[in-house]
Amino acid sequence: MNLMANILINVITSFLGGSLLLGLHRKIMARIQLRPGPPIIQYLLHSLKFFFKETSLPKTASPVFYISIVCILAGIWTTGVIVGPVTQGSLLIMFGIYAVYKIVEHNMGSSSGSPYGKLSCVRAVFSAASEIPLFAVVALIFFQTGTLSIAGIIHYQSVNGPLIFTIPLAGVMFFILLLTKSPYSPFAITKGKELISGYETEHFGFLRGFLMFSESIAWFIMSWLFLTLFFGPLSVVYYVIGMIAITVVTAFINATSPLLNPNHSVMLQITIAFVCIVGTIIMMVV
Amino acid sequence: MLQVLIYLLFFVIGSILGLVLSYKKYGEPFIYNNIDIVALILSIIGWISFINFYNYFIGVALGLFLIAFVMSMRPGYGRKETLIGLIISVVIYLIRYLLVG
Repeated sequence: MNLMANILINVITSFLGGSLLLGLHRKIMARIQLRPGPPIIQYLLHSLKFFFKETSLPKTASPVFYISIVCILAGIWTTGVIVGPVTQGSLLIMFGIYAVYKIVEHNMGSSSGSPYGKLSCVRAVFSAASEIPLFAVVALIFFQTGTLSIAGIIHYQSVNGPLIFTIPLAGVMFFILLLTKSPYSPFAITKGKELISGYETEHFGFLRGFLMFSESIAWFIMSWLFLTLFFGPLSVVYYVIGMIAITVVTAFINATSPLLNPNHSVMLQITIAFVCIVGTIIMMVV
Repeated sequence: MLQVLIYLLFFVIGSILGLVLSYKKYGEPFIYNNIDIVALILSIIGWISFINFYNYFIGVALGLFLIAFVMSMRPGYGRKETLIGLIISVVIYLIRYLLVG
């Protein structure tokens, strides 16, 4: 198939799939809290709705910065689709995408001039601690498989079995990262309710539409990466089952746990990362 | 991947239609525990088509469309119908593949 067509199909699939998964996430959280909750399709309808809403710029915003940061966010996750499902390229680029994503969170918060955004911007710097587990996961996978190519890691697992059995604690670390990215997560300090919607508070209209578009793709790609890196070569059916399972588990955790204080959130992530890194190294050596 | 995208589109279109039509049909929030016969029939056809004809493109596509149609009805409506449809189709699957062979 033509590469451009392949990219387009994968981007649309990631957007639709991610939106439905986030809708399911919201529905499950609502059911746990004894509310009927919105239909699963609601997140997708919400995203599409914003593309037709009026877009306005706050007086305090820096217009070029304010608009371009959303374009960068959509751009990096589209790159994630290309590096992930389309070309199965380097894991280091995926790490780079996540690092840029943290910078985008930070800059988006400061671009509007809103106090909520600014506080979220400060917390985004704080929460960069979540990159430590990701970097550790990348390093541990490299030590185990000898490659950083996603295609190479899939091949390694097809020969030696899924990595979740050989370096399970690295899998736990990656799952914590997924949990951090999920809506209403106990670690989601940049979007705490005391900050309204954090760095997203002042983005309206089609800009908000692109934000939601990017978040859907991000959730899809992160889930895809977790399943690909730790559960080996999977068929489409197992990817669907895996993604639904991840969404259900994170929804359960998020519905039943409160948002952590920023200090506690960062310290807990670093502690889990430390325990998992040491544990994995011991397992690899023994 | 194109096939997955088409399946997703069937699911999304089914969900939107189910949501819109159920809001037209039911003007009030979910209170009564009645079963909607039309939704039940659609759910049974959808789940049977999805689970028992998963090898056929049209079976999965039609199944996802009908499942999404019933599952995405106004909150509260369509839940029992979805569950009954799922149970019936799983029973049929078990009879077909485990008992008959």
